[in-house]
Amino acid sequence: MIRVGRGGLLLALAFAATGCSGVQSALSPSGVEALTIDPLFWTSTWVGVVVTLMVVVVVAIALYGPKDWRARLGGNWLVVGGGIVFPVVVLTGLFIYGLLVMQAGALRSQEAGEGTVTITGKLWWWEVIYSGPNGEEVVSANELRLPVGRAVRLRLLSDNVIHSFWAPQIAGKLDMIPGRVNEVVFEATKPGVSRGQCAEYCGGAHALMSFYVVAMEEAEYAAWLQREAQPAREPATPEETRGRDLFFANGCGACHQVRGTEARSLIGPDLTHVGSRLSLGAAALENDPQAFARWIADNQHIKPENLMPPFRQFSDEELSALAAYLDSLE
Amino acid sequence: MSWGGVPGWRSIASGAAIVLLGAGLLGGAFILSGLYNVAASSNHFDITNFIIRLTLARSVETRSMGIEPPPDLSDERLARLGARHFALGCAPCHASPSTSQNPIAAKMYPAPPPLSHAAEEWDAEELFWIVKHGLKFTGMPAWPALERDEEVWALVAFLERLPEMEGRDYAEFSGTGGERSASALTFAPDRALEETVEMCGSCHGDARNPPVHPLAPPLAGQKEAYLRRALSEYAAGRRPSGIMEPMAAALGPSQIEAVAQHYARASLSPPGTSVDADADAAARGQAIAMNGLGEDGIPACRSCHAAETSGQFPRLDGLPAEYIATQLSLFQSGVRAGSAYSAIMAPIARRLSKEQIEDVAAYFAARSPGDGTGDTAGSEASQ
Repeated sequence: MIRVGRGGLLLALAFAATGCSGVQSALSPSGVEALTIDPLFWTSTWVGVVVTLMVVVVVAIALYGPKDWRARLGGNWLVVGGGIVFPVVVLTGLFIYGLLVMQAGALRSQEAGEGTVTITGKLWWWEVIYSGPNGEEVVSANELRLPVGRAVRLRLLSDNVIHSFWAPQIAGKLDMIPGRVNEVVFEATKPGVSRGQCAEYCGGAHALMSFYVVAMEEAEYAAWLQREAQPAREPATPEETRGRDLFFANGCGACHQVRGTEARSLIGPDLTHVGSRLSLGAAALENDPQAFARWIADNQHIKPENLMPPFRQFSDEELSALAAYLDSLE
Repeated sequence: MSWGGVPGWRSIASGAAIVLLGAGLLGGAFILSGLYNVAASSNHFDITNFIIRLTLARSVETRSMGIEPPPDLSDERLARLGARHFALGCAPCHASPSTSQNPIAAKMYPAPPPLSHAAEEWDAEELFWIVKHGLKFTGMPAWPALERDEEVWALVAFLERLPEMEGRDYAEFSGTGGERSASALTFAPDRALEETVEMCGSCHGDARNPPVHPLAPPLAGQKEAYLRRALSEYAAGRRPSGIMEPMAAALGPSQIEAVAQHYARASLSPPGTSVDADADAAARGQAIAMNGLGEDGIPACRSCHAAETSGQFPRLDGLPAEYIATQLSLFQSGVRAGSAYSAIMAPIARRLSKEQIEDVAAYFAARSPGDGTGDTAGSEASQ
């Protein structure tokens, strides 16, 4: 029995060693819902481990045990007890526990969260609309900011195919279904950055349809939302100005919105404050000026099949001007 | 052996093998000796000629099966466009009603036949096949851009009319009348700009005449950088066109520069004989051009195709609907894919339905060429 226990320990170590505590791990919960799901996961896992060990022990006895032990196992009691009564009791228990967790989540979703964020699954990115300080719509993309300790209601939509919104550290996944509004309440328990991912295959660039979740202290969040609601800042340097001119001369506003300018199309992600986001291309690239340049000219290699055409006409100098402008949109 | 009972078979088989081997050796010796006369100055035997012509006729007939002529094949404007290419691309070898055959071309073997009666000898689809694919071992080349069937049909439309054409009709039809002789119809890098532009205008129209056909768009007022790029792409074979590629290739960089400048500053040509635009289609097209169709991922055309945007984005106002629709379908089918700019336009064109293409084309065609200033996307939406 001691040897078997060591094996269970090895299993637990293996989980830890394979990086299960990363930014996109359900095993590092930092949201109220994820924290209730977490014990369910571990309970199920350990029940499974214990049942497996019991089966292994019984099989080992049946094969190699002393004669009288084997004779004792030959009775009907094992079939009735281990094959019917035990599974019914254990699985019913787990089922009820699972239902209770789900019910708790559903009840939380019915409670009105304070402030609502509408997230729409696009091909293949996320449109994120906050309600601003004065109740106005604040359009952003590919990043969800949350105030720590406050329940926020998310309205999940899709205008194309079915996506599934999953931020593993904060909560369970919930599908985005065209023509429906699914609601879930998110509440971050501590500040920090985690990562989410579309969890329902939705076509070409599905694997690179990700996002970051940034949980911030309430005061910090309020200040951030205030800034996010502002129109874009004006270019401050000659290079940024040149970048802005290139942005408009090359028709970027045909698909992107930069609030406060004439670019106001919502086909692609809103870029009003793109410089302050953690990633580009729905978490396909870490955000820095070079990433902007790479994305503009070579996005079809970075994220194949995404709907933005590659803009290869720019010289290196023009690309860095464009990158400087976009990076300045904080 | 199982067939030992029929001893004759083995002798016949080995006899045949010896004969074949002998024939092969003799044939090889004949070829390697150089005794066969490949001179164009000496004719084929009658039997050789017969076999070659029969093979050619049968091949053309079989391979042109299933080709459908377009509905506008009898359109006189299409024939006029074809006639202009004929004067430059075909008449130098085949002669024309107003020119006799070049003595050099006449000594080709087989000599390029006069085409005055080609349409009586061949069906339209057979002519199309020959013009598009050329004929092996005759000197007849294939169309430089196999992707551009509509250009080949222009030539066929002209050949269909050629049998009834007198010299003077032909000169008028092909734009080689007046002071222009057929031999003047060549581009050369050292030609004076006025002469070059006069030749461009022969198809694309000028201050007095509208373009001969919608596929040859009016050029006056087009953006200079775009014209320069279009001509360079034609010259380098990156933008396929059997008509424009040879013209642009003959111009050379300095002429391309001068022509682009000239048309960017030229005064506008009179509008072509446009079919009455469908007002409903133009209105639907306007909605797409000004605001795009967000739900289909189609951006507003005007965001790029406006006067104040990059000089590489062409002005579309006043261009013929047929030209715009043709170009959009070339983007859709991947024919126009040779530049960084086509990589932008192609995915957008693929999002447009056939009806949306027609609507957008109707909208731009109904605009007057001077429009499009201070008129970017969304400005009408806000009214």
